[in-house]
Amino acid sequence: MLAKRIQPMALHARRLYVELMFQVMGRALQAVSEVDADVQEEALVLPEGFLFEIMVMPSGPRLIVEYTGQGRFHYHGESAPRSVDVSIQFKHIAHAFLVLSFQEKTSQAFANDRMLVDGDISYAVRMTRILNRLETFILPKLIAKRAVKEYPESLRLPQKMISAARIYLKVATNFVETVKA
Amino acid sequence: MTSKYYEFFCPVKVIAGKAALEHIPYELTALAAKRPMIITDKGVRAAGLLDPVIAACEESGIEIVSIYDDVPPDSSTTVVRAIAGIYRKEKCDSIIAVGGGSAIDTGKAVNILVSEGGDDVAKYTGSGIIKKALKPFFVVPTTAGTGSEVTSVAVITDEAKSVKLPFSSPFLLPNAAIIDPRMTLTLPPHITAATAMDALTHATESFTCIAKNPLSDAYAAAAIKKISTSLLKVMDNPKDTNGRLDLAEASTMAGIAFSNSMVGLVHSLGHATGAICHLPHGLCMSLYLPYVLEYNLETIREPLGELLLYLEGPEVYSATPSSRRAEASISAIRKLRDALYKRCQLPRTLRETGKVLESQLDLIAKAALDDGSIMFNPKEVTLADARTVLRRAWA
Repeated sequence: MLAKRIQPMALHARRLYVELMFQVMGRALQAVSEVDADVQEEALVLPEGFLFEIMVMPSGPRLIVEYTGQGRFHYHGESAPRSVDVSIQFKHIAHAFLVLSFQEKTSQAFANDRMLVDGDISYAVRMTRILNRLETFILPKLIAKRAVKEYPESLRLPQKMISAARIYLKVATNFVETVKA
Repeated sequence: MTSKYYEFFCPVKVIAGKAALEHIPYELTALAAKRPMIITDKGVRAAGLLDPVIAACEESGIEIVSIYDDVPPDSSTTVVRAIAGIYRKEKCDSIIAVGGGSAIDTGKAVNILVSEGGDDVAKYTGSGIIKKALKPFFVVPTTAGTGSEVTSVAVITDEAKSVKLPFSSPFLLPNAAIIDPRMTLTLPPHITAATAMDALTHATESFTCIAKNPLSDAYAAAAIKKISTSLLKVMDNPKDTNGRLDLAEASTMAGIAFSNSMVGLVHSLGHATGAICHLPHGLCMSLYLPYVLEYNLETIREPLGELLLYLEGPEVYSATPSSRRAEASISAIRKLRDALYKRCQLPRTLRETGKVLESQLDLIAKAALDDGSIMFNPKEVTLADARTVLRRAWA
C-alpha cells in the first residue's frame, strides 16, 4: 500500500531531477564554452546558428543550445527559435535518469540503444565530446569516472578546480538572471 | 539488479548453401511477387553471375521483368530515381539485388521510392523515417565481406549536394538473403582477401567494442572461426566451394553481429581513409585492425584473448597462458595478413598501399574523430591517439 503511494512521488521526483539536470547542463554548456579553450576548439567546426537539443521522447524535458560562433554556446532553455539541427533523444525518462544520475555512461547509453541521434552524426559525436569535457570539469573525479568513458589523466586538480569554480559561478549567475527576468 | 542491457534484431531469412539460388522462385511466390526486377552492376553481369539467378527463376515460371545492370561503385540519388522509374514503368512488384555493397544499398533505396512513392529519396534520409513494410526484397551477395544483406542501413550519394545520405530503418532489411557459393567462386584473389578481412574486422570489433552482447558474440565468434579456417584454403584453391560458402556465411554472420553491436576505431580510421585517399574499405580494415587492437589492448584483453580459440584453434588456445592470449590473437591476425600479402600483396601498412601520403595522416586522424563508430570504441580516442595509431600503421 505504502509502496503504491510512494511510486508516483518517486516517478515525479525522477522527472524533476531530469528537468533540473537539463537546466544545469544547458547553462553549464554555455559556461564551459566561455572558459575552456579545448571546448571552444571542438565547437569551431560547427556552423554558426547550429541548434543542438537533448530531449526525452516523446515530448519530455529538453535542453537546447545554439552555437553562436567563436567557440561559444548560448542556452535557450526548453524552446528552440527554429527547428534544431541535431537532437539526441532519450527513449524514456528512465534512461535519461540513468545517464544523468551517473549510473550509465553516455557512451554506454548510446551502445545500449537508450537514445537516438537525429541529424548529422559527426556533429553529435563532437557534442558528446564537449559534454564529456564538461562533466570532467564539473563533477568530482570519482563521479566523473562513472559518467565518461575515460577520465583524462592530463586534467590536473588545480585546472579542474579553477574551471569548475568558474563554470558553477556562471551557471549560478545565469540561474539568478533567469529568475529575475 | 543487473546493469546489463542489449538489443538484438535480425529478421532476415538466410538461405545458404548448395542450390540456394533455386529457392528464389519459392520465396517470391510466398510473398505473392510475380514480376521481379534485378538490380546489379556491369561487372556482375559480365562475370555471368546473373545467369544462374535468371535460369532458376525461369525454370519455375517466373519471368525477370527488368534488369538494371548499371549501378556505379558509389550509387547516387539520380541512379536510384532512374531505377525506380523503370520499376514503375515495367510494373514490377519486387526487387532482387545481386552484387556487392553498392548494388545492395541501391536496391534498398529503390525499394524506399517504389514503396513510399515520390522521386526524391533524400526525403527519407535519417533514422526511423520509414514506418511501414516495403515491397518484397531479396539480396544475393556476390562478395563475402560487407554483410549489407543483413544490415538495416544504406548510403547513397546526393550528387547535386555532394553529400552521402544515410538511410536507416529495419524496413530496409531484405526479406531473404540468398548465400550461394556459386556467386563468389570467381572473385579475384585480392578482393577475396580484402572482403574476408572486412568480415573478420566486423566480427572482431563487434566482439570487442562496448555494444557487444551475448547474441552478437555468438555470431562474431562463429564468423571468425570460419574465416580463420577457410580464407587461406580459398586463396590457395579459389574453386573450393565449401571454403567459398564458409567465407560467404562468415560475412553474413559478421554482418548480423556488427549491425547489433556496432564497430569501433578500425572503422572510424577506415571510413576517413576511404574518403580522403579513396582506398577500398576492406583493404583499410585489414590494414588498421592489428594496430587498433594493440591500441585498445588493455581495455579488451579478456574478449580479445577469448578470440584466440577461434583464430588459432583449441590446441594453440589451451597451450597459451591466459595472460598472453590477447597478444597471441593479435599475432594470429598479423600472421594471416602476412600470408595474404604473400599470396596477393594485400597491403599491411599505409606505405605499402602506395596511395596514401604521410602528409595526409593528420587529415585522416581529424576525420576519424568525427566518425560515428568512434563512439563504440572501448577507449576514448583523442586526436593524439588517432595520430599515434596512424603513425604505427604507416610503416
